Amino acid sequence: MTAVALTHRTARFRTARFRTVRALRLEIKHSTAVWVLPILAALFYVNAYRTAAGFPPTWTVRASVITGSNLVFFSVIAAGIAAWVATREDRRKTGDLLATTARAAWARQATVLAATAFWMVLAYLAGVAVLYIQTARQATWGGPPLWPVAVGVVGVAASCAVGFTCGTLLPGRFTAPIVAVAVFAAWFVGAQAANSVNPYQVSNLSSLKGTSALLGPVLGRPAFIDVGVYYHVPPDVSIVQVMFMGGVLLVMAGLLVLLPAARVPGVRGLSFAGRRWLTVVAAAGVACGVAASATAFWMAGTARYSLATGWDIPALHDAADDQPVPYTLDCTGSAFKVCIHPAFAPYLGAMSAALQPAAAEIAGLPGAPVRADMTMGYTSSAAVAGTTSVYDFFTEQEGYGGESFWATPALARTADWEQGWQQDFIIWFVSGPAEQDSPGPTPAQEAVAIALLAKIGAPVPQGYPQFSQPGTQSGASSASSASGGSGTQPGASAGQITAAASGFESLSSAARHAWLAANLAALRSGTITLAQLS
Amino acid sequence: MNIELTDVTRTFGRNKAVDGVSLAVGPGVFGLLGPNGAGKTSLLRMLATVLPPSSGTVRLLDKDPGRPAARTQIRRRLGYLPQNLGYYPSFTVAEFVEYFALLKEMPAHQVPKAVAAAVERVDLGPRAKVRLRTLSGGMLRRVGIAQAIVNGPDLLLLDEPTAGLDPEQRVAFRTLIRDLGQHATVVVSTHLVEDVGTACSEVALMAEGKVVFRGTPDELTAQGEGHQVGDSPLERGYSAVLAASRQQVPVTKRVH
Repeated sequence: MTAVALTHRTARFRTARFRTVRALRLEIKHSTAVWVLPILAALFYVNAYRTAAGFPPTWTVRASVITGSNLVFFSVIAAGIAAWVATREDRRKTGDLLATTARAAWARQATVLAATAFWMVLAYLAGVAVLYIQTARQATWGGPPLWPVAVGVVGVAASCAVGFTCGTLLPGRFTAPIVAVAVFAAWFVGAQAANSVNPYQVSNLSSLKGTSALLGPVLGRPAFIDVGVYYHVPPDVSIVQVMFMGGVLLVMAGLLVLLPAARVPGVRGLSFAGRRWLTVVAAAGVACGVAASATAFWMAGTARYSLATGWDIPALHDAADDQPVPYTLDCTGSAFKVCIHPAFAPYLGAMSAALQPAAAEIAGLPGAPVRADMTMGYTSSAAVAGTTSVYDFFTEQEGYGGESFWATPALARTADWEQGWQQDFIIWFVSGPAEQDSPGPTPAQEAVAIALLAKIGAPVPQGYPQFSQPGTQSGASSASSASGGSGTQPGASAGQITAAASGFESLSSAARHAWLAANLAALRSGTITLAQLS
Repeated sequence: MNIELTDVTRTFGRNKAVDGVSLAVGPGVFGLLGPNGAGKTSLLRMLATVLPPSSGTVRLLDKDPGRPAARTQIRRRLGYLPQNLGYYPSFTVAEFVEYFALLKEMPAHQVPKAVAAAVERVDLGPRAKVRLRTLSGGMLRRVGIAQAIVNGPDLLLLDEPTAGLDPEQRVAFRTLIRDLGQHATVVVSTHLVEDVGTACSEVALMAEGKVVFRGTPDELTAQGEGHQVGDSPLERGYSAVLAASRQQVPVTKRVH
């Protein structure tokens, strides 16, 4: 190619780019999509913002909102508005006029689609920015995950393309609402499938089939609070989702070029035959899109679930993601240290305020804990087994007070939240480190726990006392099941337990301490009876 | 010749809208007359490359519009004002004209000046930044003319261009198309015969898909001698030719 020809080609490219940019600017300025931005903002606030604000300030948990119901609402509206915009030439009767212009129909339509997608994606990103800024101000560990953003952007763009293609092929007054409802239904089906395989809701993890789940949004909160804290969340699922929706986007773009060229009735703009090279390129695009979506679907079917890292896909998985993320616990206190993962640092003050009084009440007793450490939730039972020198707690712990870290830091500063931890702490200490299948507390253990809790101002745990009738066990409460099974000493009524607790509480601090020092081992082993308490 | 039609037919289902039309038109203002349903708009849409012919050959600006590359080149040099002008209400006058200048793939550096000139030529300069939704029907028609001429077309196709224009604007418009006709081929499809009489150098009359007359406005006027229907001599010529075509009587200057 000569220099002159090259210069000429460059100049042509520049002028074509100028025209495209100017046309896009006009389309963006006058896009109907602008009118739905207030609706999107309202939906975002009601649906995504408030949901995220109710989650603990960890990046992965907060980011789960942007690919959940937030993406569903944005996609539905994006598809509907794109379908409406696509019918513009028909509604405004500009088809003939536009058909006489030199610019190809597909290029013209691509500009309109791009303008619509621009507003929708911009609105989506603005929502993400709001969430991430809010999280950045509160989070104390890690950084913003970007893969969910990519999934959301591609999802919104693909929804625009689906809606636009439908609107182009079937221009009509009702096309937009029908498309919006259809996209919502498609998401709903995906969401149902996703939630049905949510590991939080099933017991047999090996039976999970991730295909539909991975290609649809998971509504509601993530399975675990500390997801992405102890281990990185591998990008496998996000990559598959981007591939799938990117494939859909490519197919739709190809169809926009191909279908008018194939002279589909009702399609304006290319009544004469189109360019052959364009048809070939469009067909290749459709083929690539189908291949990408099909590959993603297949790969989703091979997904495996791991408690530590979540879903991974063997073909995409990087073993480096399986390594735990190093961290140093944030600690407070001297005689009794309370240590927490830095991701949950905002809870440290509340946790310390909850545990210090309880620890002080049992300080000096044999085996009294000298520190409390936060551990991974799904390994906690093993961690606490066999020793009481360290009180291990974890984020998913929902014991006597329902004191889970799902509460926001603000809610964690309430008395209810703190007392929940105090109950858990005292009961754990009195009953001893529990194995998975250990029986529940004995009446004597219950009475002692009630008395100790009363001394630090905490109420009787919900479900206590568990032995309401002699010889029978009632009140099969969550507390009972949480502590591992039934009691070994049925035969005490609730009144007897309460009376014994009152008696033990009325002892002087020194007497109570002395009694516990002498009898703690027997109390934990279950050989102490109510009568021996006084 | 900028327009060469050879035995062009266009059918819609069983309806033959254009029936074996052959025309060769060079630079100048060419009037296309005919009653409703005569096939004028279908013929104009074929000339505008919106519709391909069902049969026959069409050559525009010495190119075959059936070939994609040639069609693109034709469209760059084409101006078209459809009978029912669709528009985007939120666009301003200047933006609408600019939009079409861009779609017509005008050289980038020419676009701003061309838009300003086109808007001025239809006397909408002071309203260039007014949104289309606020304009009257006549003004919208002028916007339509502006977008049609923005690229300085070599082939300008105007379907009922003066509909809705006030008398003053109609006079100005006739001056405009006479001016444009000095360099380009301007085809004006209308049922207003006075437009043809004052602006067109040549005229064709269509009836039932066929061209039943072709000649100068004076020659059409001459066809009306002794005919009683019509307010003006040209209208009498128009109705005389139509009446003759309905009775299958050959007129003096009949074109196939």
